[in-house]
Amino acid sequence: MRMEKSKTAGALIITILALFLLYSTVFIPKFGSFENKEVAVYYLQNGLRLTGSANIVNSIVWDFRGYDTMGEETVLFAAAMGVFLIIRRRRYGHYR
Amino acid sequence: MDIIVKTVSRILFPFIILLGSFVSLHGHISPGGAFAGGAIIATGFALLILVFTEGDVEHKLTRHELIDLKSVSGILLLILILSMGALFRSELLSTQTPLALWSGGFTMFSNIAGMFMVITAIVLILYSIVRE
Repeated sequence: MRMEKSKTAGALIITILALFLLYSTVFIPKFGSFENKEVAVYYLQNGLRLTGSANIVNSIVWDFRGYDTMGEETVLFAAAMGVFLIIRRRRYGHYR
Repeated sequence: MDIIVKTVSRILFPFIILLGSFVSLHGHISPGGAFAGGAIIATGFALLILVFTEGDVEHKLTRHELIDLKSVSGILLLILILSMGALFRSELLSTQTPLALWSGGFTMFSNIAGMFMVITAIVLILYSIVRE
């Protein structure tokens, strides 16, 4: 009985969430259109003045979205250490 | 491996390192950056690991050195992005001229640290999965 209740509650929550998400797709700009361009134009116009680097990609990656890049480096660190710890080789009779 | 492959890769290796260092140290001016330059340098090390026996390469550049380098560059990157870039950017930019080699705020230092992160990640994974 409790199992069925929780199942119907879960189905209800998922349906409501799906309806909200479907409704939000109405406001997404059309594919290929360039409507939400305030941020891009701001980066292009003020990138050299604010960060001083001529390569706009590098200034976005390391300055405007630095926290995002920091998370990316964290993922890189975790991936490399995970591979190193899991697939280490048995050599000379002991793990090292 | 063959003697020809060994000789050619021995000659080619410094130039690969040179190209990768240029791409990542010049990344704030010309196209490129830490990820592209680090990947190029890591391909040089991959060439060495695949051509020579992997124990020879690992004797020169051990795993523990790689892990130390990775940790130090990660902490440096954390400090650069979290505090230095926001606090001292305007003071640094006032001493620099745009489009010169000494420009871009802390982007150059971030590029160097990120380059070491990418190199150590790829070489560590290669050390783990390549078996002779």
